[in-house]
Amino acid sequence: MQNFGSNNDLDEKGHVMTDQPKIKVKFEPKPKPSTCPICTVEYYQQFFDIEQRDVYMRIRCSLLSWKPEFYQCVGKNPDLWGPLWISTTIIFILFAGGNLSRFLLEEDKRHFKYEYNYMYVAVLIVYAMAFIIPIILGVIMKYILKSELGVFEIVCMYGYSLSVYMFVLVLCIIPYNEAQWFFLMCGLANSTIFLLVNLWDFMKKNKQTTLIAVPIISFNLALILCFKFYFFRLIYAVDD
Amino acid sequence: MEFEVQENQANNSIQGVINLQPQVNPVQAQHQEIPIKQTDLQVSSTLEESVAVTLLRDLRQIGVKLRCVLVPTMSTNNARELRNWDLWGPLVFCLMLALTLSMSGNNDDGPGIFATIFVLIWVGSFVVTLNAQLLGGKVSFFQSVCVLGYCVFPINLGALFTLFFSFFYLKMFLVIGCFLWSTYSAVGFMKLLIPEQKRILALYPVILFYLFLSWFALIV
Repeated sequence: MQNFGSNNDLDEKGHVMTDQPKIKVKFEPKPKPSTCPICTVEYYQQFFDIEQRDVYMRIRCSLLSWKPEFYQCVGKNPDLWGPLWISTTIIFILFAGGNLSRFLLEEDKRHFKYEYNYMYVAVLIVYAMAFIIPIILGVIMKYILKSELGVFEIVCMYGYSLSVYMFVLVLCIIPYNEAQWFFLMCGLANSTIFLLVNLWDFMKKNKQTTLIAVPIISFNLALILCFKFYFFRLIYAVDD
Repeated sequence: MEFEVQENQANNSIQGVINLQPQVNPVQAQHQEIPIKQTDLQVSSTLEESVAVTLLRDLRQIGVKLRCVLVPTMSTNNARELRNWDLWGPLVFCLMLALTLSMSGNNDDGPGIFATIFVLIWVGSFVVTLNAQLLGGKVSFFQSVCVLGYCVFPINLGALFTLFFSFFYLKMFLVIGCFLWSTYSAVGFMKLLIPEQKRILALYPVILFYLFLSWFALIV
């Protein structure tokens, strides 16, 4: 038993001996907790912890959209590599393919005017569809509808649902109206079925959660209408 | 510190002056050799040299690094040279490409194309490097931006050649060749720094980056 400070004995020099324990102080500079953990680069490193084989499996899951296997593919490891580079590839295909499609249809090839606005509009639409809309939906689902899915899992799912458009939009370069509509409809069906099938467990809980299908379907529909009427519009007359 | 003391024997007091400044023995100072550092000489000489000499030296360094990057032989000299990154080279090539492409298009689109290419190169290099770092690659940020910028040089050459030729298939052939050259150089540098299972994930953005730039060089 230790007595702290109650020992009043005197030592040789007449000083009061206090029985204070020697406290060993180890000074370790604590890492400053950053005010915004989501703003640091280190936070995002966990979303790039995948290999090329994983990405291949996830894209394959999204193309075979009727099988609800995406969560088995992803596990506890949603990634952001897929959404980022799939959407960037789609932007390139829209920019290059949209103008190529118009070029193929143009009668007077020497007076073809390249439209650079396609790039800016493509960046706006595709990054909104791949990031902003799933973040909003994810936040609504997690905090209002109390889903177990995190926001980044929804972003990952949306990003991979766009992977079918990489192939569809290349086929849409063929300058035939019916062919373009057919391919875009296939893409819409595949993408929407993928999202609905994988969210089915969440949606069948109650009526409120089933309503989440409405914004999903309407945003996908709006996306392919943008594709058709802005990037792949077929103008048979030369417009000045 | 030195003090002179005078003994005043008259009233048995000591008075003196304390000199606080160090006095160097004049005999010693003549023989003392103050070692002059090499860098001091260099600093004073670069300040005194003419502008042309400075520019030529910088251009020579850019040329040396360009040769290291574009003739992809992995010798230790190359690796050491690349570790001294600089951003002058990428800036020069970026401006050259943006100017070439904005001049060869229509006059209306010129400023738009210049801005697009400039932003594309810098933001693209930044994003591609960040991607490689997030995938766990041991790549230094500015070194990677430097190499990606230097590898834009073949596309620069391609854009300059397409100014002079109007035959489309020849242009396409040239631009494809330059794209393959750029990509091969950049990939050769980056693939050593990424683990095997994630290599394609880090290299695909590099390919996409040069594809974007080559496409611009072709269509304008």
